[in-house]
Amino acid sequence: MSWSTFLLLMITCAATILLCRVVPIFVLRGKELSKGTQDVLNLIPPAAFAALVANDLLSPTMFDGGLVSGLIPLIAAVVVAAVALKTKNLLACAVVGVAVYALLLFLQQIGCM
Amino acid sequence: MAGYVAIGLPCGLMEQQIGMDALQALMLSFVFYSGAGQFMIPNMMLAGTPLLTIIASVSFVNSRQILYSASLSQFCQGVSKKLTFLFAGGVTDESYGVNVQQFLTGRWNVANALLVNLFSVSSWAFSNAAGVLLGNMISIPVALGSFAMTSIFICLLCTQKLTSTTAVVVIVTMVSVLFFKFVGLSGPAILLGACMGVLAGVLKGKVMKA
Repeated sequence: MSWSTFLLLMITCAATILLCRVVPIFVLRGKELSKGTQDVLNLIPPAAFAALVANDLLSPTMFDGGLVSGLIPLIAAVVVAAVALKTKNLLACAVVGVAVYALLLFLQQIGCM
Repeated sequence: MAGYVAIGLPCGLMEQQIGMDALQALMLSFVFYSGAGQFMIPNMMLAGTPLLTIIASVSFVNSRQILYSASLSQFCQGVSKKLTFLFAGGVTDESYGVNVQQFLTGRWNVANALLVNLFSVSSWAFSNAAGVLLGNMISIPVALGSFAMTSIFICLLCTQKLTSTTAVVVIVTMVSVLFFKFVGLSGPAILLGACMGVLAGVLKGKVMKA
């Protein structure tokens, strides 16, 4: 990738994310937050992670390549969820997730699914 | 921390696919430092998306950091501006999850959290660079790489405290994300979906009180 394209990409993306990371913490800092506000803030993490998971797993075109192709990421996701609930370990989840996903793709390719 | 290596390597592999060299991957990881963003850039570039659209979409998706930052402000009262800035600048989906859990135990401070962020960004940057170098030698399917990231998000979701309210938040969020993608708003789907989920959670709280 050319350096001019790369620098444009890096600087603009970094600038917008830095603003989003830094401004709210300073604006809200030092203010006593009401119980209601704190309750709302506590809803943010489950919502954000649910959105990221849904964004990766679900799409209107997910079954366009056939039922099996659409189900493979979902099956792998269920296995990862089970590992997550049991171990609460990020690394274990990443490793198991990729391994199960690779195994399912392999089984599909050799015609077992 | 090891989780960063597990997703940094595949992320580097994808960056290599769009012709980044190891130095560029290292710089991008230190300066931009966004797992989801750094996976999105190669994904969209490989799909032939124009540069400005990529920048706009990545920035839009990363605006969820506003939510994290707002939520973390409650733990930064009485902390110096410099320390707060350094800490705030390095918050990510993963380190946010780790730090909030620690902050809620009450035995955690911003300096500890900053240390977590510094370890995270370093392991992230070096594994990205290593991924690029690895990609120069072998080829690995892109879908496998991005599933490492998905697995991390699933783990972070599953370790949230489960209540009837969070269940409503999660379900409404997921349905909303799919809905927004269905109507063509794939870029902002994460942010819009999460906002719908939070809104649903707030409404549920109001209904239960009434």
